[in-house]
Amino acid sequence: MVPEPVVTVHALRKRFGAFEALRGIDLDIARGEIFALLGPNGAGKTTLISIVAGLLRASAGEVRVLGRDVVSDYRLTRRAIGLVPQEINFDPFFTVEESLRIQAGYFGVRLREERLVEILTALDLAGKRKANTRSLSGGMKRRLLIGKALVHEPSVLFLDEPTAGVDVELRQALWSYVRLLRERGTTIVLTTHYLEEAEELADRVGVIDRGRLLVVDRKEELLRRHGGKTLRATLAHPMATVPRELSLLGARLEDGGKVVALDAGPGGSFGPALAAFAQAGVAVQDVETTRMRLEDIFVQLLRGGRDGRGEAAARREDH
Amino acid sequence: MIGLGARTLFSKEVRRFLRVPGQTLLSPVVTTTLYFVVFGYSLGGQLREVDGISYARFIVPGLVTLGVISNAFLNTASSLFVMKLQGTIVDLLVSPLAYGEILAGFIGAAVVRALMIGAIMWAVAGLFAGFDLAHPLFAAVMLLLVAVAFSALGFMIAVWASSFEQVNFLPTFIITPLTFLGGVFYSAHSLPAALRSLTLVNPIFYLVDGVRHGLLAVSDAPPGVGLALALALCLASVGGAYAMLRSGYKLRG
Repeated sequence: MVPEPVVTVHALRKRFGAFEALRGIDLDIARGEIFALLGPNGAGKTTLISIVAGLLRASAGEVRVLGRDVVSDYRLTRRAIGLVPQEINFDPFFTVEESLRIQAGYFGVRLREERLVEILTALDLAGKRKANTRSLSGGMKRRLLIGKALVHEPSVLFLDEPTAGVDVELRQALWSYVRLLRERGTTIVLTTHYLEEAEELADRVGVIDRGRLLVVDRKEELLRRHGGKTLRATLAHPMATVPRELSLLGARLEDGGKVVALDAGPGGSFGPALAAFAQAGVAVQDVETTRMRLEDIFVQLLRGGRDGRGEAAARREDH
Repeated sequence: MIGLGARTLFSKEVRRFLRVPGQTLLSPVVTTTLYFVVFGYSLGGQLREVDGISYARFIVPGLVTLGVISNAFLNTASSLFVMKLQGTIVDLLVSPLAYGEILAGFIGAAVVRALMIGAIMWAVAGLFAGFDLAHPLFAAVMLLLVAVAFSALGFMIAVWASSFEQVNFLPTFIITPLTFLGGVFYSAHSLPAALRSLTLVNPIFYLVDGVRHGLLAVSDAPPGVGLALALALCLASVGGAYAMLRSGYKLRG
């Protein structure tokens, strides 16, 4: 069980006409963690966070934020939540400063000058304080959205595809800021297509597909359980066939016989393989091992989920 | 006491229309002034009399009501619909603003715009026809109720609409024709029986008639009818808008 859940989702379902976007989601988000919700397009990521933030109403199930129901206690739960939506929006009638002050006002907060400056500086928008939002670049507009979500100092920040269409430099800057927010105690939930983003930032990862959570686990645990590794040995002398000692371990030749490659499953070791190289008298020039990345595991989980194995994984690993 | 959230929304909406004064304040004043000059003045209007008062003075209440109705409706309808289109509606939907606060913010700003237009039009018309304000309190209450009713109606249409065409349908094909056929330019007494019967089932006729009582102290129907109808429309449209907002219809999936 996750300690001190800030967000609790129980048996959540959402139907749009005949289409069931969420099919019984159970999830706890712990205080102070960075949780990444991964899934392909249309998996239900945005629907899930939209229900928690109050943008959508659930068809069935329950969502609690800080122990309060998001429908009956919406005024309390929404004060605890900040949402950075996926789609960029801006009101061309107002400046950056006005937009932030208006958003704070909606939350019943008078934006103090120090807080305003802090947000503008952190998001590199200080020079655009008096600029009309229409004149901002795409990246600046996205940063303004983050600023608007932070004006009321939420306990939980939902970032829906925060770095979609953002250049590498800005992505790194946003990641740093997300880490800073977490250090200050903000719980972060992000949805992303960039597996690299989840690998970089997340403490825990949830994989969602077709409205079902396939897996929820700590990132390291997910990598340990599902993440196999591959050993590639560059040979001193290329070979035409794999020696028997190595072929018994599943070795294969690559790169025109210059490389022998072997895979090890989750938790597996290459000890027997190294012994087999010595036993077969194969001269090795160089050795390289690579771990499966989150991206590979994600693809594997989706395939498993679609042929039924994912549900077993979900039952085994879901919190 | 009105919370900071509702006051912020109200102030934002007022600033929004004040930032495009040519479109939101000047344009309707110019249009309605042209109506006044052409119908009430140039086409021999000053030579005719209706119910014992000059025609130019007679049409002022109707034109003021027309301005109040259309601007109250357009302010909420266009602002909310553009928020839906631009996606900035998300800012409101994720906020802890209560349904009543959201309505109060939108309706309050639309009422300010509508009454500003009404007052400017009354003042402009006064320069031509003289300043009539027979029952100021009655006129103010009538126009306030009319503004609230039509701004709430605009809110409902914006929630429902999926295109600008749908937003414009009601004012173009229903409100404006009903207003023009609602005694803005004529007295129901002067109509043939069949047309008079049609006019008497047009709710906007009673609103114009009520405002005319407030400004000129003349009316076709008892003024209380207009006041009661304005109050009923007000309660119905505000109640409808509140119910729509509460249900999440078209806003919260």
